[in-house]
Amino acid sequence: MVYLILKRLLQSFFVMLAVAFLAFSLFRFVGDPVSQMTGVETSVEDRERLRDELGLNDPFIFQFARFTGDLVQGDFGFSYRTREPVGEMIAKRLPATLELGTFALVISLVVGIPAGIYTALRPRGFVSQSILLVTLVGVSIPTFVIGIILIFLFGVQLAWLPTFGRNGTVDLGGWSTSFLTLDGWRSLILPAMTLGVYQLTLTMRLVRAQMMEVLRSDYIRFATARGVPYRQLYFKHALANTMVPVITIIGLQFGGVVAFSIVTESVFQWPGMGLLFLESIRFVDIPVMGVYLVVIAFFFVIVNLVVDMLYVAIDPRLRVKEAA
Amino acid sequence: MKIRTNLRLSVATTLLLIASQTASAESFRWASNTDPQTMDPHAVNSAPVLSFLNNVYEGLVRRGRDMSIEGSLAESWEPLEGENGWRFNLRRGVTFHDGSAFDAADVKFSYERASSEAADVRSWFAPVAEFRVVDDFTVEFVTTAPNPLFPDSIANFMILDSDWAEANDAALPARDAENHATRNTNGTGPFMVSDRDPGVSTTLTPYDGWWDTVEHNVTEATFTPIGNASTGLAALLSGEIDFIQPIPLQDVGQVEGRDGFQVLEGLETRVIMFGFGHEHDSLLFSSDVDGANPFTDPRVRLAVAHAIDVDTIDRVVMRGKIEPVNQLVPEGISGYSEANAGRPEYNPDRARELLTEAGYPNGFSFGLKCTNDRYINDESLCRAAAGMLAAVGLNAELTTMPVRNYWEQLRADDFDMYLLGWSPGTFDAEHPIRFLLHSQDDEKKLGSWNFGNYSNARVDELLPAIQQEIDPAARQALIDEVVEITQRDVAYVPMYTQPLIWASKDNVDLTQRADNFFLLRWVTVN
Repeated sequence: MVYLILKRLLQSFFVMLAVAFLAFSLFRFVGDPVSQMTGVETSVEDRERLRDELGLNDPFIFQFARFTGDLVQGDFGFSYRTREPVGEMIAKRLPATLELGTFALVISLVVGIPAGIYTALRPRGFVSQSILLVTLVGVSIPTFVIGIILIFLFGVQLAWLPTFGRNGTVDLGGWSTSFLTLDGWRSLILPAMTLGVYQLTLTMRLVRAQMMEVLRSDYIRFATARGVPYRQLYFKHALANTMVPVITIIGLQFGGVVAFSIVTESVFQWPGMGLLFLESIRFVDIPVMGVYLVVIAFFFVIVNLVVDMLYVAIDPRLRVKEAA
Repeated sequence: MKIRTNLRLSVATTLLLIASQTASAESFRWASNTDPQTMDPHAVNSAPVLSFLNNVYEGLVRRGRDMSIEGSLAESWEPLEGENGWRFNLRRGVTFHDGSAFDAADVKFSYERASSEAADVRSWFAPVAEFRVVDDFTVEFVTTAPNPLFPDSIANFMILDSDWAEANDAALPARDAENHATRNTNGTGPFMVSDRDPGVSTTLTPYDGWWDTVEHNVTEATFTPIGNASTGLAALLSGEIDFIQPIPLQDVGQVEGRDGFQVLEGLETRVIMFGFGHEHDSLLFSSDVDGANPFTDPRVRLAVAHAIDVDTIDRVVMRGKIEPVNQLVPEGISGYSEANAGRPEYNPDRARELLTEAGYPNGFSFGLKCTNDRYINDESLCRAAAGMLAAVGLNAELTTMPVRNYWEQLRADDFDMYLLGWSPGTFDAEHPIRFLLHSQDDEKKLGSWNFGNYSNARVDELLPAIQQEIDPAARQALIDEVVEITQRDVAYVPMYTQPLIWASKDNVDLTQRADNFFLLRWVTVN
């Protein structure tokens, strides 16, 4: 186990290096940071001086080496746009994104798993068919449209929930959380629903498919014949076997939810890392974009590692294999 | 029917109730699409920063509701006698937000800070040869040549407290790493920054010790950047914000159709125009012309002007909200040339004739570059214009891109014809002559946005004369000559000024200034 973790962490180092390299080779095409940092009346000479100071005239490989060298030493650099330290900017935005992603995941599990079980047990029922239809529509519509629809319905027309931003946060030693106030929860609902719809549908359909397959297997039939009560049969024996692949997929998806919450964050002006990344693209803020991509790469590696470990923990067969 | 009406009524009352709950009488919340990058008034010369900081910091002079120059930290000013330059008599009894007194030392400090190499606003002080402190409340700017517009040109030069800046290691604007002045302020203006979370929200509170008469009734103002236009509109309609600038043209109907909201429309001074590669030997993006550049022929450029139907663009692309222009500044700007107020009418036949005269009876193809996120509906404008040009045989191969890529390509001369919007920063006709019409001259820092390098020796000669002429009539004659030359040469094809469209709740009174600056000191919430 320890060996596995160490191996993965070593791998993660190379993954991040590769991501940083790819990112840096693409930044040249994002645009010119100096034009975005200076005003209209700034002279050509002053622009060139700034470009020199930032090292933008150096060959690409030098810029990359400087970036990774500083990063390894824990120096994340300063934003071109706001001149704030990048490490601090990302750290400040991280809680917003993680809380949003986590809550979206919770919604998708709490709704998706029971709905999946229900639709598996009564596949032809009217309610099941309706649920399937609604969720199908949910994944077919692009995220930003769902977001806008929710905003206009619950924010503007009904005026139940705020349309934008992250209100009512409480600072817990550098981690600002939405979970402790009513305002915080109210702000969280719409973006989390928007972000969670796809997850929810995926979870539900996965649980449903797995459950239906498990229900057809021999041991369930034998258990039914033995007269095991239905409750125990479905929720203990069948569900446990259903969950193994579900957890893997959900875990892997969580990385995606956090990394690609960009659209949702933009629609709700949610001050997370995704929104920061978008603003950084607009201003060609290379240090922020670079660090963001490396952090996301690291995050993916960690999520994959955790999923692998969970997999081993849940499925006894894997433990046997590893021992052998 | 009856029931439906009641239902609608109750929804309306609910909305009203919620609106009144969220916006207590005098706290004011507003949004815009860009967060000011910094709170340092000398670090970035951009409209979002200067507009925002005009609430917090003040200059020697300021602009009123109608853009006219009036005294601010200087009570009066007059030209120096016997030499070129201006004397400013400073206001007494002004204090900074931290209570320290304002005097000439602060002006000196701010001048040195703003004209340093680390400052992005230093171009304002290019004409200054010497700065002198005469006494505690008198300062003098000596300029290298007569400079009648100098006071106007420093309306956004904001004064920092020297002791505060020095005590907090912010004697120079932040160049790479941030310093104290990046997020904190200490100005003399009507509002103080009480809280700032960059990119999320910034809160301002009125400064009790402000020297001027208070006209606003705001007790607290919170600014939130909202990048997504639909989100911003929803925030306004749900009552979470009181005011937003700008809203997209296509959303005007959404706001106008609702009770309790208003749209504020005005004209910006930004002129939208097409420019040409005057200096290129050949077209870069042509499939049928090789080794020649038809745009060097003024008849071809005039053909472009005749081929573009600004009225149709207004109707189809801009929803009837633009104002056609004939020169690089719109009417009403000082130095506008009344003598040259005609513009080439829409006349495709004349355009075809001109092309035939120039030796291109069948037209030709070329590359047109446009932005797609800089000006109002810029991409649609260029598509419409390309269609109109194609009708006379000018086949534009259109490339659109975000502005972050755009200037780089124009500076690299990578275009045949391009789109440009220009707002005269000094609100005077001299500004576009300096930046767009004078030949490129890096040493003298002139013509820096003259991408196509239009060059006319007489225009180059007239610019310094215009800058130095004190007599208004003589000055206007010089400007008229420049406009006449550049209209004859069709240096650019100016099309229209674009609208400013803001929206607010209808209980908010505010002033929409032509430079798109929003100032809290003119806000009253009823």
